[in-house]
Amino acid sequence: MSNPDINPMDGAAASFFGFAGVASALVFACLGASYGTARSGIGVSSMGVMRPDLVMRNIIPVVMAGVIGIYGLIIAVIIATNLTSPNDYTYYKGFAHLGAGLSVGLSGLAAGYAIGVVGDAGVRAVAQQPKLFVGMILIMIFAEALGLYGLIVALILGTKK
Amino acid sequence: MWLQEISPYTWAAIGTALAIGLSVTGAAWGIFLTGTSLLGAAIKVPRIRAKNLISIIFCEAVAIYGIIMAIIFQGKYSYVENPTAAPLAIFAGFALFWGGVTVGFANLACGVTVGITGSGCALADAQNRTLFVKILVIEIFGSALGLFGVIIGIVMTTSAKFN
Repeated sequence: MSNPDINPMDGAAASFFGFAGVASALVFACLGASYGTARSGIGVSSMGVMRPDLVMRNIIPVVMAGVIGIYGLIIAVIIATNLTSPNDYTYYKGFAHLGAGLSVGLSGLAAGYAIGVVGDAGVRAVAQQPKLFVGMILIMIFAEALGLYGLIVALILGTKK
Repeated sequence: MWLQEISPYTWAAIGTALAIGLSVTGAAWGIFLTGTSLLGAAIKVPRIRAKNLISIIFCEAVAIYGIIMAIIFQGKYSYVENPTAAPLAIFAGFALFWGGVTVGFANLACGVTVGITGSGCALADAQNRTLFVKILVIEIFGSALGLFGVIIGIVMTTSAKFN
């Protein structure tokens, strides 16, 4: 399993960047997901007082914010399962994993923030005008796509050999 | 490189400290966010006290995740002579550092989220009894984020051994 051409000291040094990639994938995506969940949650709590029947439908922004967290989790698992020992790790892989982690993490942070703000405004608007529900979902799908772009780039970078 | 010249035990210890310290900060933040709203709303509507303690318990669970991970991390320490020349020790030091950062910051975010949502839950419950369970669903989504941090912390550090 271990390649004799790879110097384990280089592998150990490169693992700093690999682990930094895992951490940034999860932490930034979680920050985005948590902002989205909290901000939409506040909106749902407020509108639920006026229209309790619409609350379960309006949990969709919260679910979409949770999916951003899942994107970060996927990439973090992919990178971490390739980071098992310093004997078969290279600077090439280390920096590729760092790039992967940062791309999904920072995209997830931005997407989660957008989903939070749109979700908050959207659920409050839907309480007053139920016809706006589909419009809110469409806007949030575009925001979710931003996180997906980060996931795509991270998958390409994270699986480089 | 200077990163490897710092003793791996420094990295590991700081990671363990961040895991527990930041998790507890998140839990504390969440508890005070929910607690203030709950106590304020319960002045007029005392019936909400008992049910809404579950939001406080969700925040406390975040601190429990942190302490479990910190205990797991500290169990991996073992003595190696000349650690800055041992690739396995350097690898383990970095793994524990970034594992601690992951667990700590994920739990920080999770704690604040559960606190904000718990505060909303208490205030909504005070106005309309049926809203409690519905808003609790949002809190459960929030607390999943801390679990993601724990999962990744475990996956990162399973193969981290000092010797």
